[in-house]
Amino acid sequence: MTALAIAVGLVLADSSIVVLALPQIYRELDASVAGVTWVLISFNLVMALAAVPAAHLARRVGPGRAAAVGLAVFAGAGLACAASATLSTLIAARCVQALGGAAAVTAVLELLPATVGSERRATAIWATAGATGAALGPAVGGILTQLVSWQSIFLIQVPVALAAAVPILAVAKHEAATGVLPAELRRTGRPHLLANLALAMVSAAIAAALFLLVLLLIEGWRLTPIGAAIVVSAMPLAALLGSRLGRLVPSARARAAAGAILVSGGLGGLALLPKAEVALTVPPQVMVGIGLALVLSALTETALAGRAPQALHGGWTISARHAGVVIGLLALTPIFTADIAEQRQDAIDAGTAVILDSRVSPLLKIDLAQRIESRLEEEKGRVPTIGSAFDPLPSDVEERAAVVELRDELQEQLNRGATHAFSPSFALAAFLGLLALIPIGLARRVDL
Amino acid sequence: MSAALRGRLLVGGALVAAVALVGIYLVAGGSSYAPAKTQDPCKHRPWRNPEGLEQIAEQFSFSALDGAACKLGVSRETLAQALVTPEGREHFMQRYGISDAELARAIRAGLLRAVDDAERAGALNPILAAPLRQTLRSIPLDRAIELINDAESLLEQAQSFLGPAQGLLEQFLP
Repeated sequence: MTALAIAVGLVLADSSIVVLALPQIYRELDASVAGVTWVLISFNLVMALAAVPAAHLARRVGPGRAAAVGLAVFAGAGLACAASATLSTLIAARCVQALGGAAAVTAVLELLPATVGSERRATAIWATAGATGAALGPAVGGILTQLVSWQSIFLIQVPVALAAAVPILAVAKHEAATGVLPAELRRTGRPHLLANLALAMVSAAIAAALFLLVLLLIEGWRLTPIGAAIVVSAMPLAALLGSRLGRLVPSARARAAAGAILVSGGLGGLALLPKAEVALTVPPQVMVGIGLALVLSALTETALAGRAPQALHGGWTISARHAGVVIGLLALTPIFTADIAEQRQDAIDAGTAVILDSRVSPLLKIDLAQRIESRLEEEKGRVPTIGSAFDPLPSDVEERAAVVELRDELQEQLNRGATHAFSPSFALAAFLGLLALIPIGLARRVDL
Repeated sequence: MSAALRGRLLVGGALVAAVALVGIYLVAGGSSYAPAKTQDPCKHRPWRNPEGLEQIAEQFSFSALDGAACKLGVSRETLAQALVTPEGREHFMQRYGISDAELARAIRAGLLRAVDDAERAGALNPILAAPLRQTLRSIPLDRAIELINDAESLLEQAQSFLGPAQGLLEQFLP
């Protein structure tokens, strides 16, 4: 059972694990912000497209074999990701990784009921493992990126995937000996349209929460990957709390509605940060974390309840979740890249006004303006830190105080610009989360 | 507690928490946490008490930037960034579709506004202002930009323009 849960957690963590590594990949592979998002989008897109066919395949060749082969492909493609020297090869390897992942995750859902004794428990374990993996992904990825490198994120998955595949191989051997159930057996019900639709909407919002927050912390506020990982670990910790809370409420619809509201509320908070302070991101993150645990597990359980084969309906939920992530990223990337460029210019204008109106001498102003200009050049369109442009500080006490005051005010303007640039995208993501309430509300009356 | 009641409490609690968080962040200034807006360059900006030639020159440059920026329909800050380097100026002119002649006209107009402002602020005597205006009306673009970046040289030039009356000029400057 542990191996199966690890397999699901590992694959679904992969949809978000590279989020904190994106800035490093972006610099090392000399990519654009829009280009590097395809490291995320490609994986999620292939997962969305391949999940249902992979589930059919698992039914045909046997879930044990499908899961074992899927994990092996996932591990092999992980090695290729780590060895990638260009963005295009990395994206191609990510696509192959997603193919293996889709096979493994959907097949595991078919294997779990026999292992844990009940279909309901199997669904709950599968959904929780997936939600935990997705929430933990960015923090783990951030720590590995900072301590080792972005390549280590993929390398470390190889032994984990192979270790999870070993006990599954026994099932595969058993299948080879006894044969596979005919695919037409145990077919019950069409995919739960409303639950899957809500899953897609809420996944778009959650993906945005993770992706945008990480970019804000690293690119906007210039935190290190490990610093950002510590900050975003508030989300998975809160998700654990959300899982416990969810067990107290039997109604999946109530959990889904409460979860969607909390995700939207948290995103609304991130859209309205009143200052560029890490601590202020914690309450919204806690809200998103609790919300995602409630809503993802409730909607997945609803989509799978009473339906067979489980792998196929699980495939539909995986497809919906990853399609939501893709839609979220595709919709929000152009918005926030445009906003970052605009806010960067606004922040530079505001900073120029601060320099012009400051108390420092005119000659020093001109000197500082030139040094800041070269810092901006070095940063190539990113939100810069300008502290080093002020070094060395003047020896005269009065002038030193004026320069320090100017430096702090200038950095404040840049922080304001960086924070404000993300507000419209967070607000749009919050709206997507709220939209999920429509299918959740309708699901009571129309059970498709 | 019934299962239905627990469900309602969960949804209600989520709603209260979400509204409270958004409300608190709004009240704390979340909707206005953005870079400060730059001032309209067409509005008059009062001169700070200038002390000495260096300070007068700085205020003069600011007025000239405001005047030129107003004429071009950009902010003072955008124009100041553009004039730091020749490449910056080229990029700025391309971005806003401004020709050399238009930029020259705008900067001359800015310098003339600076003379007016200096005169109004009592930092420049009308006797000196008149020949300065005359000189600035036909000044070439590169020289005009130099003057915005270094108005001190303009005021120093004005001193040499007066030649023997230099001592008299110093009396006009505070």
